[in-house]
Amino acid sequence: MAVARLTARSGLLARAVRATCDSPSHQMAQSFISRPTRATGSSPTVPFSTTASFSCAKTPTSTPDAKSETPTQTDNESDPTDRYAAGLRLNKEWAAQTARDHPELFPTLANGQKPQILWIGCSDSRCPETTFLGLHPGDVFVHRNIANVMHPGDLSSSAVIEYAVQYLRVSHVVVCGHTACGGVAAAMGNKNLGILDPWLLPLRQLRERNLELLSNMTPDEAAMKLAELNVREGLNVVKQKGVVLNAIQERGLQLHGLIYDVGSGVLSELDTQDSEEVIRARLTAFQTE
Amino acid sequence: MADQPAHTLDHIFTNNKKWVETKRNTDPAFFDKLAAGQKPDYLYIGCSDSRVPANEIMGLEAGEVFVHRNIANLVNNVDLNVMSVINYAVRHLRVKHIIVCGHYNCGGVQAALTSADLGLLNPWLRNIRDVYRLHEKELDAIADERQRYNRLIELNVVESCRNIIKTAAVQQSYDRDEFPVVHGLVFDLHDGLLKNLNIDFEAMLQDVKKIYCLSPGPKKD
Repeated sequence: MAVARLTARSGLLARAVRATCDSPSHQMAQSFISRPTRATGSSPTVPFSTTASFSCAKTPTSTPDAKSETPTQTDNESDPTDRYAAGLRLNKEWAAQTARDHPELFPTLANGQKPQILWIGCSDSRCPETTFLGLHPGDVFVHRNIANVMHPGDLSSSAVIEYAVQYLRVSHVVVCGHTACGGVAAAMGNKNLGILDPWLLPLRQLRERNLELLSNMTPDEAAMKLAELNVREGLNVVKQKGVVLNAIQERGLQLHGLIYDVGSGVLSELDTQDSEEVIRARLTAFQTE
Repeated sequence: MADQPAHTLDHIFTNNKKWVETKRNTDPAFFDKLAAGQKPDYLYIGCSDSRVPANEIMGLEAGEVFVHRNIANLVNNVDLNVMSVINYAVRHLRVKHIIVCGHYNCGGVQAALTSADLGLLNPWLRNIRDVYRLHEKELDAIADERQRYNRLIELNVVESCRNIIKTAAVQQSYDRDEFPVVHGLVFDLHDGLLKNLNIDFEAMLQDVKKIYCLSPGPKKD
């Protein structure tokens, strides 16, 4: 495959070792080869830093670590440290184990899905919904994007909601934000991020509307508050869709706002109950037949 | 697996607590490490379908894979949502691999093969019809309906890979660092196995760059 072919080329390794020698922050060639991004740092061809303020917290200084090989390792099919190859191998183990634990699962899955939950969450790697919900394949229909932002006109999330609510008839729609969100941190900063800026716009709008509140908080508190406001606003956008309003009224579809704490793994639910007045106004303005 | 009552979400909070306990027992520092930041090697772009949970099918842990899921794992050139995900994953997280994962029995692809007006879903699913048009000869030559449907699912993954390679972020990162590499996979619900479509990334990159080049070429040492 392509990766194996690429790895036959020796240029990268030579370059990696050269760069390592040039990099005072990396003592060992092995360390660099494991995590090439640490040594190369920001590159002149990228107009902004790749590691700094956009992440909430920096990764601890790297140590030789089997799980983060570059895609240019030789013979990734047989290299036990290549995580892409490992993923494919682990898939075989997972499939066998799952078939043993739940013999009925795969035959049932092939017949169709009937999930109860639509999950709208962040793409962040630390937020794997099915895993931390303790659920199984077939349980959760999922949309994940940068900072779990809901844009009213976004066709991708709109199509997901339409399909999940109207065709799959889920019972719950969840919008889940999380602590230490990079998108939230970016919106609390003022760095030009190119194509990401229009995507993060709703977060900046929330920042503007809550400027005074946020400015009286510590940076961590403000980021947490903005994540929470973003979940509430995301739920509002979901509830402005006719298909959702109808499902709430006709069959009791439930909506939930959650926050996931990446530092403890714990989920908590926000109180997102609207007043009678808010509900009436929403129905008047958004319900369609 | 959905054997819980539909009227409450309580079970997910109970399950979540159990999961936290299990993780802490196995590795007391598990969450402290996650709290320190994310450094995933993978971006996974897959279908929203509940039967295809990204981490589970690849056996990967929390913190290992950045995930975007939409209807039918489409990478649409003008979709700000997916383009933001790719941009962030490549330029900020500097992922080493981008995995597009489709699956057989995909309802989105099936819907796109149906002569029906699906309202808001039409413009989204039209991308799949475009994939069919691009490969019309090959697909029309497949007599068996199921096999044709399966092949369209695979071609849809390949097309998403191609659209990822059209981005400036991927081209520039690859010219500089020789990553990320883009892979196309298909998940089979019948046995839970992943099929590697063995996309020749470099060949596809060269092909794409003939028209869509947004990066002048590798930096000379």
